[in-house]
Amino acid sequence: MPRTLPLVVVILLATPSSSHASDRGIYSRDIKPVFSKHCYSCHGGLKQEAGLRLDTGALIRKGGDSGAAVMPSDINNSLIVDRITAADESERMPPEREALTDAQILLIKSWIAQGAKSPEDEAAEEDPREHWAFKRPRRPKPPAVTNAKWVRNPIDAFIAAQHEKRDLTPFPPAEKHVLLRRVYLDLIGLPPTRAELHDFLSDNSPDAYERVIDRLLDDVAYGERWGRHWMDVWRYSDWYGRRRVPDSLNSYGQIWRWRDWIVRSLNDDKGYDRMVMEMLAADEIAPADDENIVATGFIARNFYRWNYNTWMKDTVEHTGKAFLGLTLNCCHCHDHKYDPIANEEYFRFRAFFEPIEIRHDRVPGEPDPGLYPKYSYGKAYKPITSGLVRIMDEKLDAETFVYTGGEARNVIPDRPPVIPAGMAILGGESLKIEPIELPATSWYPGLKPFVRREEIEKAKTDLAKMRETLAKAKQLLAAATDEATKDAAELTLRVDQANATRAEADLAAVQARIHADEVRYQGEPGDADELARRASRAERQAKLEAARVEFARAERALATAQRKDPADEKAQAEVKTAESKLATTKAALSKTEEVLDTDTTEYTAFSPLYPKQSTGRRAALAKWIADKQNPLTARVAINHIWLRHFGRAFVESTENFGRSGAKPTHPELLDWLAVELMEKGWRMKEIHRMIVTSSTYRMASNVASPHPTSSDPDNVYLWRVNAKRMEAEVLRDSVLYASGSLDATVGGKEIDQSLGLTTPRRSLYFEHHGEGRMQFLDLFDAADPCDAYRRTTSIRPQQALAMANSELAVQQGRLLTGKLISELNSQDNADEHSTRFVNAAFEQVLSRPPTATELAASEAFLQKQTDLFASASAEDLAATEKDEAVAPSTDPATRARENLVQALFSHHDFVTIR
Amino acid sequence: MPKPQCNHIQRRTFLADVGMGFTGLALGALSHQNGFARDHSDTAFTPPNGEPHFAPKAKNVIWVFLSGGYSHMETFDPKPALVKYGNKTYDETAFPNPTKDPLFMLRSRAVVGGDRPHSKIFPMQIGYRKHGESGIEVTNWWPNLATCVDDIAFVRSMYTTDNDHNAEFQMHHGRHKLDPPEPVLGSWIHYGLGTLNENLPAFVFIGQYKDTRVRWDFDANYLGPAHSGVELSLDPKKPLPFGIRPGSVLAREQENQFEFINQLNRLSAVEYPQDAEVQARIKSYELAFRMQMSVPDALDMSGETTDTERLYGIDNKTTAVYGRRLLTARRLAERGVRFTLAYLSDYGEWDSHLDLKKNHARSCGRVDKPVAGLLKDLKRRGMWDDTLVVFCTEFGRTPGVEVRDAYKVYTGRDHHPHGFTVWLAGGGIKGGMVHGRTDELGFHAVEDAHYVTDLHATVLHLLGLDPHRLDIPGRKRLEIDYGNPITQIMA
Repeated sequence: MPRTLPLVVVILLATPSSSHASDRGIYSRDIKPVFSKHCYSCHGGLKQEAGLRLDTGALIRKGGDSGAAVMPSDINNSLIVDRITAADESERMPPEREALTDAQILLIKSWIAQGAKSPEDEAAEEDPREHWAFKRPRRPKPPAVTNAKWVRNPIDAFIAAQHEKRDLTPFPPAEKHVLLRRVYLDLIGLPPTRAELHDFLSDNSPDAYERVIDRLLDDVAYGERWGRHWMDVWRYSDWYGRRRVPDSLNSYGQIWRWRDWIVRSLNDDKGYDRMVMEMLAADEIAPADDENIVATGFIARNFYRWNYNTWMKDTVEHTGKAFLGLTLNCCHCHDHKYDPIANEEYFRFRAFFEPIEIRHDRVPGEPDPGLYPKYSYGKAYKPITSGLVRIMDEKLDAETFVYTGGEARNVIPDRPPVIPAGMAILGGESLKIEPIELPATSWYPGLKPFVRREEIEKAKTDLAKMRETLAKAKQLLAAATDEATKDAAELTLRVDQANATRAEADLAAVQARIHADEVRYQGEPGDADELARRASRAERQAKLEAARVEFARAERALATAQRKDPADEKAQAEVKTAESKLATTKAALSKTEEVLDTDTTEYTAFSPLYPKQSTGRRAALAKWIADKQNPLTARVAINHIWLRHFGRAFVESTENFGRSGAKPTHPELLDWLAVELMEKGWRMKEIHRMIVTSSTYRMASNVASPHPTSSDPDNVYLWRVNAKRMEAEVLRDSVLYASGSLDATVGGKEIDQSLGLTTPRRSLYFEHHGEGRMQFLDLFDAADPCDAYRRTTSIRPQQALAMANSELAVQQGRLLTGKLISELNSQDNADEHSTRFVNAAFEQVLSRPPTATELAASEAFLQKQTDLFASASAEDLAATEKDEAVAPSTDPATRARENLVQALFSHHDFVTIR
Repeated sequence: MPKPQCNHIQRRTFLADVGMGFTGLALGALSHQNGFARDHSDTAFTPPNGEPHFAPKAKNVIWVFLSGGYSHMETFDPKPALVKYGNKTYDETAFPNPTKDPLFMLRSRAVVGGDRPHSKIFPMQIGYRKHGESGIEVTNWWPNLATCVDDIAFVRSMYTTDNDHNAEFQMHHGRHKLDPPEPVLGSWIHYGLGTLNENLPAFVFIGQYKDTRVRWDFDANYLGPAHSGVELSLDPKKPLPFGIRPGSVLAREQENQFEFINQLNRLSAVEYPQDAEVQARIKSYELAFRMQMSVPDALDMSGETTDTERLYGIDNKTTAVYGRRLLTARRLAERGVRFTLAYLSDYGEWDSHLDLKKNHARSCGRVDKPVAGLLKDLKRRGMWDDTLVVFCTEFGRTPGVEVRDAYKVYTGRDHHPHGFTVWLAGGGIKGGMVHGRTDELGFHAVEDAHYVTDLHATVLHLLGLDPHRLDIPGRKRLEIDYGNPITQIMA
């Protein structure tokens, strides 16, 4: 590209002539990066097209099938120059649109002219099959270390070994209150209360900390805290698309049941392997299990109504990233440039998902969400608001075709469909896929006991109501004294009589259908056809009775109209309408009478009927991913867990463990923990327990005294703990919790975003989707619903404004102040006064007492604000904000205290997990 | 060797070190967060330092967007052939049938549904004539803007690839709906250059919408929320989210509170010398306090003269709303806001499947005066050379009339990604010129065709930025994402 030419000139001028050039300089600095970026994917460790490798100087000089690629000092006879400068695009390398720039070509020529030298000790690219992440983790022995007394568990041994290797001195343990707050926020996402803080500080028993951890891991709030983490990784999103219409295009209504499943599964300490399997294939591996079927929300979340290929694409990409740490999306268009995964393997992976479709199921106590509507162009689809959404296999013989350029229009003609398979490099090339026979309640959910119970209940309730109405009608008739009232009451009685009969017929029809179902589908004894006929007739009988009701109503309407003044034009019109209505209902009635005796075995099912089989493709995929033999699954999980405890992952590219991803900082510890996870039944609570009880985790993040400059300024090797910024949700939840306002209700339908500052539920229960996040959370870097394999953290002035001005911080500050004052007043006959208040406020908000300087500063502030309010006009003091739930106190001293508490919520130590 | 990663997600790293104030103050420059770029590669990744890559021609951008897709023919690319061949099919004209041109399939890609019939030519719905010394033809719905044509460069050869309204977001981030989105142009500018005024956001959105997808027009995507557009409201009581102290809090009360917070944080900084974040937090509170004053001040138009208000059409009910938005955009540019996205329509306002004549006449009437007023105001204030104005929409409209079963009469044009017009004016732009051309029927961009990212590249170039140098490790951008600057329209 011409624009980089001036730069090259500079480089060439700055590179001394060959007589005293450092060969390493030009090759390593200028040439190798170009080859690495543009050539290695085909001529390196991954592939050796034309027998040529370009990943070391020696290999370049050696060349491939066509001979040496480079003749040192001879540009004109260097094959590589011909190829990179070829005018004919089919000749030119690199191929397609990726031609080297003039500047890069010039550099290569000048390197050749100078003798094409390269360092002798240069290593060739590793064989990609030898890439660490593609080989199964084995449990390494924890290293022996000098600092043995620091080692509480194997984690510490691995960490200490690195300290000793790099001459790093670990920080001392964190102060007790710092540790307590850290572990509370890390495990349950809420700070300790003052009482919990006091208890812990005064508990000197050796297992005080361990008991806290047991309690926290048993708290339902643990599932909410870690549920939110995994929701990041699994890209939780409520439905979106065109919410204003509303038109649900992406993800799906009722997907919140998947969120609740995540929270529940974590609290139950379900194995990670099982969770993965259920998310990919609960409908195949546990088809009768209604509790866990919603786990397939993981796939439903990727749904895109307007384009099936997009659904497939996102599902492949994110299954790869979330569970395997592989960037499969790269092979959508071409063979992977870094990992040994072929273009076709992308499509083979997609084939696992090819048969799927969205499905709605009814759940107890909620209306039937009905059949999933297939998309029809231009129509809008409201989100479903009852039942559950899940995945099933619908197209049992679905075929997957390879297309080029990532463009589904370009299917390669005449190429046979691909067979579902996992990546060969991970041993997934020939998975056994067997069709699964589904239980009847799965392919015909109308057979479920609760459906029957509710249908009968509904019919019975209706019948009871109709009978009651009828009884009332009889009483009215009996009480009627004049003819007119009597006539009217009689007509109504007829309607009500018909309705009672209709309700009886409805109930009978439901019962007949159930009976027929039992025999037809569930092997109960009886003549299936005969019962089906009866059910069919019972339904028609019910329709006939309904038609009779309509007829009776029409008769009554006519009689009522006829009683009116015949001279009145309006009354005349009413009579006309009533007459025609009577005629139509009569016709309808005779029609239902005519068909009553139709001989048929067809009757209405209690739900849609779905395929009786599932292909077993996803079950095979799920088992393969969750198998202990899979080298990636456990490592990827451990890496996510570690990241969220320490603010830094072993493999920083959490969704890419491939060759282009980051190298692990502690490969042995990662493997040790991965094996530990698998051998402990994939239970994550055990891993959390081990992490938070380690000496590593218990270190201080900061020390007051200046620390010698470390050889590891970025703390890669964990010689201290990293302080972390609270995630947006933790921040919001903690303000509410510290103020005693948090509503601890677990689970349920997503809550409107606009209620975020006033409805005190935990943040994970609010709408979170691709069209927008709750504004307050967004300001504090809430997860991107479409991409949050890890989060960003920013510090922005808008955050300060949100803490200073939002009704959340302002009003919760007022509430907490009131609570603290009354709490202090009720304690030990000592009056609340400023020192006690400041202490209590620090403890409640920051989980620590103030330092002497902070105490002095706080008391001075209280005095300053008290004076301000004391001298303010009554009008100023009484000013309120519209719709403000909690007004400020009008008492100067109290209002000053409110200010103090609000300020503490804005304190850096509040938003920081030290 | 560091390897660029295919579509690899690694965004937290890049917030690092952008110590250039306000929303640019996204301090990921924290010991534990400087991602792996530093630790695992030979070449360190350094985020931009706020300096342009080469001498800029402009400092600020006012990006005027009209949603729904205005007809290029009835605005800035009038076509006599439409009059001549009105109500004829494409095959009945003297020109090759544009739907049979290979370009037809090549450029467009439907998210949903197939092609819609519009083979009969819909005549021009409004007259047009030459204006200015340059003699550029503009339709009669633009009486005010027509007086400015000698200052404007019209690009009549834009195309995009989505035939539905996701093209709006594509116009801002450059990607088709079926591909993963990129950060929007304003975010790249914010990321690359930071701000000229610490007390105001560097990337602002002004407009109103009910459809929340409009937020995708100012979403920083993987650059992180610190680089997203900040939505300012013209309502002085609520200029920006949480930007005003509650009515129940006294000014002095809050001032003392801010002071106290910073006092506590400074004490904390002593206690925790390793904590780099606390310094950033202190600075963010200082900025926040100043911002509470400066944002309302920037939005307060009470100091503007009646003459100025008239210039923007604020004295007239039809033009007042958009006039205020553009006057605000000017006030923001004046105060150093880098990029203002002035959303000058309702979402989808220009989408004239029916009644094009009525709808376009109405919408032109709302926009013409304010936009012309903005150009004139920039000139007379000496802001012309520093401020780049871009005027655009998501796509054009079909030369053919739209036919649908549901319609009783056919009075509109359908979506048209194959050719449309945008224009630029101000800093670094050559005035009085037309660049590129659609065919005689206004169907395909046939001469100097530009995909939407060429428009982005042009803006970046005028601001002194080379988009290649804004690249982020681990984020694979395609060549088409960078676009090519339209040098022909540059002064």
